[in-house]
Amino acid sequence: MKKQIKRFLKNKRAITPVLSHLLLTVVAVSIMSLATSATFIITTNLRETMGERLLVEDVWFEEGNNEIDINVRNVGKVSIQVAAVYVNNIGQLFNSPFNLEINENDWLTVDLGWISGEVYYIDILTKRGTHIASHYKAP
Amino acid sequence: MLSLVLIVTIVGNVILWSYQMNQVDWERIQEKLEIVSIQETVLGVLIVFENGGSITSHVVSLWINNSTSHQRFEIDLFIASGETTSKLFGNIILPAGSYTTKASTERGNLAILSA
Repeated sequence: MKKQIKRFLKNKRAITPVLSHLLLTVVAVSIMSLATSATFIITTNLRETMGERLLVEDVWFEEGNNEIDINVRNVGKVSIQVAAVYVNNIGQLFNSPFNLEINENDWLTVDLGWISGEVYYIDILTKRGTHIASHYKAP
Repeated sequence: MLSLVLIVTIVGNVILWSYQMNQVDWERIQEKLEIVSIQETVLGVLIVFENGGSITSHVVSLWINNSTSHQRFEIDLFIASGETTSKLFGNIILPAGSYTTKASTERGNLAILSA
């Protein structure tokens, strides 16, 4: 056994062509698998971001409640999650987590004391980075 | 080789998706829905819609808003291009005083009428 190990260690010949081909194949397959996975992940994100569409159906400045209710409908091709709501460029507390499936609508409630007659710039931001913003006048 | 084919397929799908979303946006722009009139009758509320766009509109919701209440009604109404149609809603009660009527389409457009 010891002789065999010594013979193996003293052997200075290069690896066989079969082994070299095998190694090359393994390396090539690994690299291409990585490239395919990376492409899939990147394009899936891109695809989901491209498919987001939102509609603000209604904005209700509720009297006495110190809150603004925004009715949002998902008119896109993917489900959405609202990440932040800005009123006049200031982040506000809302009923988080707020998720909408395709064609679903729901009330997004923002806790904010509003003043009658004032104009508010409401900006809704989704987790994937889609913005929907507009000006609304409090009654 | 197989990986290259896969990568080309994935990228091709993204390009196709982009085209489809452009089509969705284009259709949304083409839609021109209008609420012509709203009046209370003995049988209910009669609303007249007009589709001035070049494609069929699918109205999915109706809003009757005033300062104290915002009511949403789920509806399912298709209006062909260039068509003016009236629809009677027996379940709607109009509020006293001034109010706003809104209709939203499946593609994400709004038609608004203040009365």
